[in-house]
Amino acid sequence: MHVGTGASIAFWIMAVVAVVSASGVILLKDIFRAALLLVVSFLSIAGIFVTLNADFIAAVQVLIYAGAISILLIFAILLTRDVQEGNPSNRLKIPGMFMGAVLLTALIVVFVNTEWRLSTEAPLDSTTAALADLLFSNKFVLAFEIASVLLLAAMIGAVVLARGEDE
Amino acid sequence: MPLRDLYLLSPEISIVGVAFIIIMLDLWIERKGLLPILTIVLLGLPLGFTISLWGTEEQAFDGVLVVDTFSIFFKVLLIGVVTAVVIASQETAARFRRFQGEYYGLLLMATAGLMLMAATRELITIYLSLELSTLSAIALVAFFKDTRSTESGLKYLVLSGVSSAIMLYGMAMVLGVTGTSSLVEIAKAAPVSSLADNPALLLGVVFIVAGFGFKIASFPFQMWVPDVYQGAPTPVTAYLSVASKAAGFAVLLRVFYLAFGDFSSDWSMLFGVLAVISMSLGNFAAIFQTDIKRLLAYSTIAHAGYILIGLAAVASRVPGGEAFGPQGVLFYLTAYAFTNLGAFFVVIAIANKIGSETIDDFAGMSKRSPLLAGLLALCLVSLIGVPPAVGFWAKLYLFNAAVQADMVWLAIAGAINTAISAFYYLRVIKVMYLSPAPTEERVRLTPPIGLAVAMTTTGVLFFGIAPWFLLDFAIRATSGFPG
Amino acid sequence: MIELEYVLFLSAVLFSLGLFGVLARRNAVMILLAIELMLNAVNINLVAFTVYLSPDLLVGIIFAIFIITVAAAELALALAIVLRLYRTRSSVNVDEVNLMRW
Repeated sequence: MHVGTGASIAFWIMAVVAVVSASGVILLKDIFRAALLLVVSFLSIAGIFVTLNADFIAAVQVLIYAGAISILLIFAILLTRDVQEGNPSNRLKIPGMFMGAVLLTALIVVFVNTEWRLSTEAPLDSTTAALADLLFSNKFVLAFEIASVLLLAAMIGAVVLARGEDE
Repeated sequence: MPLRDLYLLSPEISIVGVAFIIIMLDLWIERKGLLPILTIVLLGLPLGFTISLWGTEEQAFDGVLVVDTFSIFFKVLLIGVVTAVVIASQETAARFRRFQGEYYGLLLMATAGLMLMAATRELITIYLSLELSTLSAIALVAFFKDTRSTESGLKYLVLSGVSSAIMLYGMAMVLGVTGTSSLVEIAKAAPVSSLADNPALLLGVVFIVAGFGFKIASFPFQMWVPDVYQGAPTPVTAYLSVASKAAGFAVLLRVFYLAFGDFSSDWSMLFGVLAVISMSLGNFAAIFQTDIKRLLAYSTIAHAGYILIGLAAVASRVPGGEAFGPQGVLFYLTAYAFTNLGAFFVVIAIANKIGSETIDDFAGMSKRSPLLAGLLALCLVSLIGVPPAVGFWAKLYLFNAAVQADMVWLAIAGAINTAISAFYYLRVIKVMYLSPAPTEERVRLTPPIGLAVAMTTTGVLFFGIAPWFLLDFAIRATSGFPG
Repeated sequence: MIELEYVLFLSAVLFSLGLFGVLARRNAVMILLAIELMLNAVNINLVAFTVYLSPDLLVGIIFAIFIITVAAAELALALAIVLRLYRTRSSVNVDEVNLMRW
């Protein structure tokens, strides 16, 4: 990996922003603010993808996560108007915290103890063209087609569920 | 994309095509009762394509899609299940004034996803097929749009989301360690000989098992089962309990035998433990249920446990010889499909008439409808595993596989659980035959659901008396099994 | 230079936060937000593995693209269900839903 110091600093800033805003998403009482913080978190993760030289996925992250998915979530929040009620936590708060901590410890132990076979090759300057080739190659075209049927199924399902019987 | 690849994919293409046709026809056809009939007729197309492929051993799309007897076995099973469910759905679907075409269309798309799950050898494609079936199933679960059905849909969506995330984290680990998403290449690229030597790979395997646990309704993702089964339209419940379990086990078999075959001694114990937990949990909880759908829901968790025995019994595979474990799994899944569909269909037939799914309301059913009571009793007896029903042979083969694999404790745990399960299944039969009927009013069987009941219960009896027909297919489907 | 482990730690933190959110929140929309966090953690892993371990193969990034696609589809369905639930119950808190045990 040849990443400049600038990229390294950028990574740490964005990592901190991502973690802080993600904690905000989970802990804040106000659901609407939590959703806005989620957008911040999505954007900083997009920034992390940029520092990792993954330009295409960074753009997708901004367009779909920070754009479309956040809008959907904010719609869901505004339309259900539970904002005033706040964001109460349930009785699983303590066990949840415990399980989260156990999981985090386990993951870190795993990551530290695994020998990763780092590649010596430099990452591609631009991944977009290579991704397009791969996505429409014989190997992934089936996945691509399944994804299109999946989107259709989800769309039909959403239309059916959102519309009432008598409308 | 060569033409041959398209032919190999034709069962899936045609079933999605049928879904499109049904949804489109819904716009023009005024008599909605024609839709299920058309669906069943058109389902002959994917079934024909699937059967015409029997015997081929080919790969398509650079090895992503594989057409072998194993995948065709599952495709035929899944098409059979969806046909039966469509037949049994008529009265339920007639209750929604709109979107009947979408109901059948979503059922078919879910089936397309499940069929692909049984036929792919690449993690990304497996994930997408799994989500195709899950998203369609979520919409189907919430299809009634009343509070209970919507809640079930939400619960199904949330828990499938969490289990997918965990499974994906596991897949990411495997992808990271091996650098590939193809199951065949994962087996070649795995850097160690034991999972314990590579924590990341171990984590990946554990997370993948946890994620698939959702699909097959086993521990640790079993908590959604009772509520979703209770709230969903009953034909959808029947479909989920059978089809998604079958496809889930097909993927598990493929992933673990193909990609992690070298580590079988590591994961066989994992599956053994999960099997015992699942069956004990399901059986104990089932004892206390008063709603027949909840009872069958807990029983499905228990049965996921029994089938996991087949995965744990990997050591029963003699190199070059018969694979008792996978054979038992395939046999059990088919037997379970006939039996459980039969049980659910009888419940639909009765519940549509008496308007209740509480076990106590089935009192005196032997007087009100001797035929339905008898058939439900037959299915429950098959679920216990008593001859002459097919469930007996299914359990026998699986427990035998455990013994062959030197895991006698697993067979004993299964036998003890079978004894426990007899208690609550027999209680239902007792209520039907010994409790006095509240009214003398007869419960009549209407033709469509009667046909579905007849199809499934005939299977329960026929394969119970002549199990070798089915066993022969199961053996042939697993003969080319990666060893 | 950023080590691979640090990127993985970041994803581990986000994943654990997401899991905690799923377990501890009771508003259905908040649970969905937490699931999105978990999926993002997976994507960070996939991208990091691709960049550090097999930059020539790009399979991880393809995987991440598909995960984002599915997440969007799933949320569309989730929005429909949440709206339907709100219309019938005027609440999207999962444990007020007492017809069935959560």
